[in-house]
Amino acid sequence: MMELVPGNCAERYIAFKNTQGQNITVEDIQAEERRLGLDRPFLVRSFSWMGDVFFKGEFGDSCILRLNINHLLSDKVWISLGISLAALLFSYLVAIPIGIYSAVSRNPIANNSVRLISYLGLALPSFLFALVIMLTTTIFFGESMAGLFSKEYRDAAWSFAKFMDFMTRAWLPILILGWAATAFALQTVRALMLDEIDKLYVTAASARGIYGRKLLWRYPGRHSLGPVINSIGFDLNRIFSELPIVALIMTLTEMGALLFDALAYSNDQQLAGAILVILTATIVIINFFTDIILALMDPRVRQGLIG
Amino acid sequence: MTILSVQNLDVLFNTDDGIITAVDDVSFDMKEGEVLGLVGESGSGKSVTAKSLMQLNPANTIYGERSNILLKNGDRELDVLALKKARDMVVVRGGSISMIFQEPMASFAPAITIGNQMVEQLMIHTKMTKRQAVELSVEMLERVGINEPKKRFYQYSFELSGGMRQRAMIAMALSTKPKILIADEPTTALDVTIQAQVLELMKDLVKEFGMAILFITHDLGVIAQVADRVSVMYLGRIVESGPVRRVLHAPAHPYTKGLLNALPKLDALDEPLTPVPGDIPSPLERPNGCVFHTRCPKAIVDLCNTSVPGSSNVGQKHIASCFAIENVCETV
Repeated sequence: MMELVPGNCAERYIAFKNTQGQNITVEDIQAEERRLGLDRPFLVRSFSWMGDVFFKGEFGDSCILRLNINHLLSDKVWISLGISLAALLFSYLVAIPIGIYSAVSRNPIANNSVRLISYLGLALPSFLFALVIMLTTTIFFGESMAGLFSKEYRDAAWSFAKFMDFMTRAWLPILILGWAATAFALQTVRALMLDEIDKLYVTAASARGIYGRKLLWRYPGRHSLGPVINSIGFDLNRIFSELPIVALIMTLTEMGALLFDALAYSNDQQLAGAILVILTATIVIINFFTDIILALMDPRVRQGLIG
Repeated sequence: MTILSVQNLDVLFNTDDGIITAVDDVSFDMKEGEVLGLVGESGSGKSVTAKSLMQLNPANTIYGERSNILLKNGDRELDVLALKKARDMVVVRGGSISMIFQEPMASFAPAITIGNQMVEQLMIHTKMTKRQAVELSVEMLERVGINEPKKRFYQYSFELSGGMRQRAMIAMALSTKPKILIADEPTTALDVTIQAQVLELMKDLVKEFGMAILFITHDLGVIAQVADRVSVMYLGRIVESGPVRRVLHAPAHPYTKGLLNALPKLDALDEPLTPVPGDIPSPLERPNGCVFHTRCPKAIVDLCNTSVPGSSNVGQKHIASCFAIENVCETV
């Protein structure tokens, strides 16, 4: 896919140099192509790159920045995955209990406000939400809350103090990214719960004297979570696709912003490819784990696996 | 000895379309070691009546002010309808009264083993240790005729056959030694041979445990097999009740007669079936007077559509509520 873009890495690098006032000849481009191995056929290059990625964890050099991608990404990968997974965790920690209780609660005010908030979460794009929050924080607190680190820690090495500083700022993107997922999961849990709670086994359980929280969590609660667990991979996918835009607005120094940059501005195939591989691999791994969780929770799934 | 007394039970449902009367002035007693059959079409209020004994009806249910459900609990009487909190109902639910349902598949939680559900109930209602609860559960599974009870204990409901599931359900219901077992169409979802086995098992267990069974069904054949007494319900009212042989052989109420006539007869297979004429009225358009007058072949003009008939004694503890009964006995 990346190869469909006109021009190759060498041409773009040279063009980049050109804009900086250097005079470039055709020979320069060819020399650069040979140096980068671009004279080899497409498939050979593609497979040797993938081989490096999978067997050595080595992504090669960035096309434009001329830096080792592993080095370039290192802590940004962990920041991005951390923020995304935290957003995911946050959304489930909020959505599951509230979803379950709102299904059984007959308090109309609580019910309607939950509904309102979750519909807003579904309808409002996260970049707009990010903009609104930045605007209000700038007006009321005089600080934009943008960025992931305070000035003094921006280029410092990782330390406990830097981590704490990171946490005081990271909750905002986590909230923004998690909100839409929360809204979605909340509606799912609520609908599933309403379905489950009318089922005979719940009546049968309460006929045996089980009541209250134990009845709610052990019977309909547990049985309504299957589809929610199934959707974890899907939710993570959505968070990943919103991450670059939110990162761009909030000037977060993480991988998503880099991906946006590599795709939209510098056309840095190597870098964009590396980031996409990391994101996709994460989704595949998460899906693998959700399948295992599902099998642990539901004996019917287990039986389907064994046959 | 009377262990449960239902007095003037009214059950109303508050729905979006208005208030619906599901059960109207139902009274009956249950005695130790007795099987009471409750017969009626779907929507006649038999399940609602049964669920009222444990307050299992949905949240929009209103129980009548004059209604009482008195349950003998040790040496004192407990008014089930006066219990307001789920915590207080535990003594009734699964303690004094257990219930088994029409669909054994749907009444077990699919993702919890049968054994765990049995042990959970025992831990709530008895002071057993977990080990004792496990032992008793396996013993109960064996008692109801389940082969390899130890293995079944660790299985899930979907791994068992239909008849086996209902046996397991019975084992679970009886493990806490309840005084009353409510059986809500327990054999409807089973095929005939399994049905006979389960009915036989239930009759044995009544004798062994000395409890009472409230047996709900629409199947008069099943009632003839298991019940000692029967009450026939129509639109939330008991229209006729008495010893099962008397009611089935000499029905007094036109509705009971209609039901018996509607049964296909093996010796006259070519004759057309004779259904009870008309349909059950919508619960929102409950007839005035006798609820059956809209379908009754013997309805008396200007009487049945205006006043509710009282109970007439037709002999040998056999009671029917109808204006058109001949042979009313004045003495009991």
